[in-house]
Amino acid sequence: MKHKYHKGLINGMASLISIVMGLVFGFALLLIFNPRYALPGFGNLMSAGFTSSEKLAKVFYQSAPLLMTGLSVAFAFKTGLFNIGATGQYTLGAFFSLVAVVQFRLPWWAGILLAMVGGAVMGFIPGVCKALFNVNEVITSIMFNWISLFVVNLSINNMPLLLANAWGAINKDRTAALTSPKFVAYNPNATIPKAGLDQLLGSNYMNIAVFIAILIALIIWLVMNRTTFGYELKACGYNRFASDYAGINAKRNIILSMTIAGALAGIGGGLYYLSGTAQYTIVKSLLAMGFNGIPVALLASSNPLGTIFSALFISFIQVGGDLLQPEYSREIIDIIISVIIYLSAFALLMRGWISKLLMRNQTENVNEELDDSSASDDAAESEESAK
Amino acid sequence: MSEFVIEMLNITKKFPGIIANDDVTLQLKKGEIHALLGENGAGKSTLMSVLFGLYKPEGGVIKKDGQVVQINDPNDANRLNIGMVHQHFKLVEVFTVLDNIILGAEETKHGFLQKKEARAKVMQLSEKYGLQVDPDALIEEIGVGMQQRVEILKMLFRENDILIFDEPTAVLTPQEISELMQIMRNFAQEGKSILFITHKLNEIMAVADRVTVLRKGKGIGTVNVADTTVDELAEMMVGRKINFTLDKAPATPGDPALTVQNLVVGDKHHAKKKVNNVSFTVHKGEIVGIAGIDGNGQSDLVYALTGLMKPESGAIYIGDHDITHMDVRGRNDLGLAHIPEDRHKYGLVLDYTLAENLILKNYYTPSFQHAGFLRFDEMYRYCDDLSKRFDIRSSQGSATIVRSMSGGNQQKAIVARELSLQPDVIIAMQPTRGLDVGAIEYIHKQILAARDDQKAVLLVSLELDEVMSVSDRILVMFEGEIVAEIDAKSATAQELGLYMSGANRQSRMEVEQQ
Amino acid sequence: MTSNVIADILSGTILFAVPLMLVALGGMFSERSGIINIALEGIMVIGALFGCLFLSVVEASGIGAAYSQLWVLGAVLIAAVTGAVFSLLLAFASIQLKADQTIGGTALNMMAPAIAIVLTWVIQGQGQSTILIPSWVRITQANFGITAGNGFLERFIFKSLFLTTPLAFILLIVAIVALYKTRLGLRLRSCGEHPQAADSVGINVYKMRYLGVSISGFLGGIGGFAFTVAAGSGFQSSVAGYGFLALAVMIFGNWKPLNILGASLFFALFKVIGSYAGSIPFLPQFEGIKSAEYIYLMLPYIVTMIVLILTSKKSRAPKAEGIPYDKGGR
Repeated sequence: MKHKYHKGLINGMASLISIVMGLVFGFALLLIFNPRYALPGFGNLMSAGFTSSEKLAKVFYQSAPLLMTGLSVAFAFKTGLFNIGATGQYTLGAFFSLVAVVQFRLPWWAGILLAMVGGAVMGFIPGVCKALFNVNEVITSIMFNWISLFVVNLSINNMPLLLANAWGAINKDRTAALTSPKFVAYNPNATIPKAGLDQLLGSNYMNIAVFIAILIALIIWLVMNRTTFGYELKACGYNRFASDYAGINAKRNIILSMTIAGALAGIGGGLYYLSGTAQYTIVKSLLAMGFNGIPVALLASSNPLGTIFSALFISFIQVGGDLLQPEYSREIIDIIISVIIYLSAFALLMRGWISKLLMRNQTENVNEELDDSSASDDAAESEESAK
Repeated sequence: MSEFVIEMLNITKKFPGIIANDDVTLQLKKGEIHALLGENGAGKSTLMSVLFGLYKPEGGVIKKDGQVVQINDPNDANRLNIGMVHQHFKLVEVFTVLDNIILGAEETKHGFLQKKEARAKVMQLSEKYGLQVDPDALIEEIGVGMQQRVEILKMLFRENDILIFDEPTAVLTPQEISELMQIMRNFAQEGKSILFITHKLNEIMAVADRVTVLRKGKGIGTVNVADTTVDELAEMMVGRKINFTLDKAPATPGDPALTVQNLVVGDKHHAKKKVNNVSFTVHKGEIVGIAGIDGNGQSDLVYALTGLMKPESGAIYIGDHDITHMDVRGRNDLGLAHIPEDRHKYGLVLDYTLAENLILKNYYTPSFQHAGFLRFDEMYRYCDDLSKRFDIRSSQGSATIVRSMSGGNQQKAIVARELSLQPDVIIAMQPTRGLDVGAIEYIHKQILAARDDQKAVLLVSLELDEVMSVSDRILVMFEGEIVAEIDAKSATAQELGLYMSGANRQSRMEVEQQ
Repeated sequence: MTSNVIADILSGTILFAVPLMLVALGGMFSERSGIINIALEGIMVIGALFGCLFLSVVEASGIGAAYSQLWVLGAVLIAAVTGAVFSLLLAFASIQLKADQTIGGTALNMMAPAIAIVLTWVIQGQGQSTILIPSWVRITQANFGITAGNGFLERFIFKSLFLTTPLAFILLIVAIVALYKTRLGLRLRSCGEHPQAADSVGINVYKMRYLGVSISGFLGGIGGFAFTVAAGSGFQSSVAGYGFLALAVMIFGNWKPLNILGASLFFALFKVIGSYAGSIPFLPQFEGIKSAEYIYLMLPYIVTMIVLILTSKKSRAPKAEGIPYDKGGR
């Protein structure tokens, strides 16, 4: 297992390097746009999450759905699929959870379960299209992102009970506030429990959602690395042909992978919109949370445990970013995050160098290679296999 | 004026962890056919890639006609009139023959392609040298023979007169090989100089003037073919005396283990079947070899037998069980092992560790999992055990990522995995492709041991020598059909070659009687 | 259904097909050279950003209305060049660093809208996140010295005519000729199918791939500008997922220029039909359902999915796309 340990360490180091470089770039940006506030601005950025317990609560609050969409993308990546449909899955999951607690008066945990189902459905469809019809999952997911959005909007508009104005508010462009007194009387179990954490951190935003998400991340890690199921899924992702050869049912696994990825993103939607501090607003654009899962997964090299940290980190600097206003536009955070992602490409190269360095140190193995070498035929072979 | 048209002096080429060419010297005379001999991995392809500008050497110098030259890319090589026919053809499948020939040397007017002139020139060359091609056919539609002719025409189109052939005979029938050799002799007579990479000793004896031998990256020496023998060359190539014949006890075939009846495998794109009404039986304790040129249905036959492809009609039995429509896992559970022809594509998950690859076929059995959770300690124990028994070398033992292992060790891992499953039927396709002599001997020994242990072995190989030396019985496949069945002891390469190229065929009765 | 409605539908179809087609063609060049370009969305935003900024500068200096189309051409060129430059970031990461092309593309897609918003605030002042498009950008009968009438043909042509439309068709023809009839096109295609073969005949695969990606940036930038101009409400730092739609169109069009044209028109038609559903008598009106417009909004996506399901068996992507090329081969 020594090598695996190395691999995780190298990945982590590489991500850390790109984060540091990205932050340096960000600081340079701040200097360019408004030099006077650059230093305090940057200081705020880095420490905001820690300055008050309310800010910390906000970090946890935002990281829960982010972690779920990140897990969704990471899980799909590990199995060889690009789940760009996380946002559609997230949206449908959110909708199902709201229907559960509003229309059917179910408790929050039933809402989360239904959210999982909603997301799963939106993952299942691209999976089937890919496995059975050979349609690229990226395209299917993009199409269904929009279909999902429109279906949800259409449905909410035709389910008056879900709208805010049914519960004492004026507007009907968003769903009910789950903490409004009229609603609480109707279904007191709708929101995710706070378990006293809100007292601890002095913020309404804090609840157990982030812990649920972390638990799920741990379960996913376990499944991916310790079970036969995970073994099969990864084999399919790494080499579809070898899995066929081994008797693994690749089609079934592709469908399962996308369905699970969808379920994870759906749970994210449920965790966010059942918190009580968020209302689903009916707009014609796709929700960003689904797409933000992609950088979370990439920064963590698709490792489920890593996504916990990358979700917390991104959430952390997003909270910090809020404080950059009014001297700077909030979007500078998005630039910084995107630069970090871009720089993680450098990190890949670095990973290669670091590994080679480690290999060179093992001299006795080099001689073994020579004894038994098929040096140039390997070159020809790798060309063959690249075809 | 130097007597040598090309000199490669003291060439050293390194890759990470390996010295592919170590101070190698090669000198080519004008108008000669010069063979470059070495087993797989000796550095022959690398050396020629240096000459062709695909690699830059760390040390050494190249001279043309006595002058030092720099060859930094294939354009430079082309300017020096050096051309190369590669072992793995470098042809774009979706382009036509004509487009492939002109690619990189296109005639243009203001950037627009002028194909008319090029076409005329190509057809002229084709006529002159007897290299028949269809200029408008797509590469993916033509056979390997024509594909090779396209590669040769690429060189002639560029007026190359120093021609490098990298293992050109791998995909040809014995008859086509003779034709190619005649073409080479014609080129040499015209004053073109030829470098001919191979590991096949009899071809060198047949056509080359001189031969340079490489072993493990080092130049061993250059000899006149007229002054040497096959055995001497073999010893230079491997460093010890090679025993060419396998120590084989006579076969004692038992009950039928694998029975194929009237198997037909269709082709999605063409009406012609890939496997056309094939029937044969492999008994316990015997090795049946299938000889044939690549592309005559062998791959499809093997995929149909192993479950990777669906047959159109016919039946397949393992023992008494009908497996015709059974899924892959069902066949594996019935005792079928498969050493695939493409180890990277089918045989291994390159990004998995050695241990994970070794349990690829039985990870779901109680030995390696409990309630869905993998039993890692069992996995590692199994891996260590197999590594020892089959001499699999890896830099980090069971945790080695298989991608980093050498081809020989990867193949040994596959063989280890398949043979350790205690199978009843072993289907091995190209099991020794790309391996050095040592590894080849080892795998042949393992296959013979399995056969002596009363297992049934179906060996499909494109190397005629391998089929002839390892098999007990030989079937020949041509265009999807079994056209001959011959006892291995009495078979000759000539005879098999005629069947392989379709020039001869036995009657159905003759085939089925045996 | 009046002829007005038909004219409007047809003209709307072409209007929305143009950006799709341009960007899909760009994506095609990139993928045909071997690089998967997911960053089309971001490239569109950058092209639109700088094109519109140029227009607003011209407008502010008051010289806009005279030689209006010349300025529009200038904006198009700026959009093209900035798109190409932005795409070089993807090229660098994918070709030089051999990074996963998904990573590079995703990063650029995130970067572009953020850059757009930040720059817009800096230039126009805080809170002003929309860049307005001057009215002289649109080509009317006045540009040709004709008085406005109301015939079918006139309405079809002039309802929403922008320079980008005829330009797009010219670029389509250029693309077809370049891809299939020139030496550059042949070499570019070989790099996406079999880079080792291209390398062995002396073609610089890296250079070809840079070219492929730059062309996608060039066309994508123009496409982004065309989209913003067509959408009509000014630049708001987003192209509403059109970049990804263009990817779908490219796959739908099997990486071939004429098929891409067909696919763009197909998709645009269904998009436009939705907005005119009320005026088309034989389409269901969904009386009892609130916000029924969503049903028609979904239409193009659903229709595309059905067609993709039916046709994807024959889909044939460039063979070597997405695999970084390594000259050393080890």
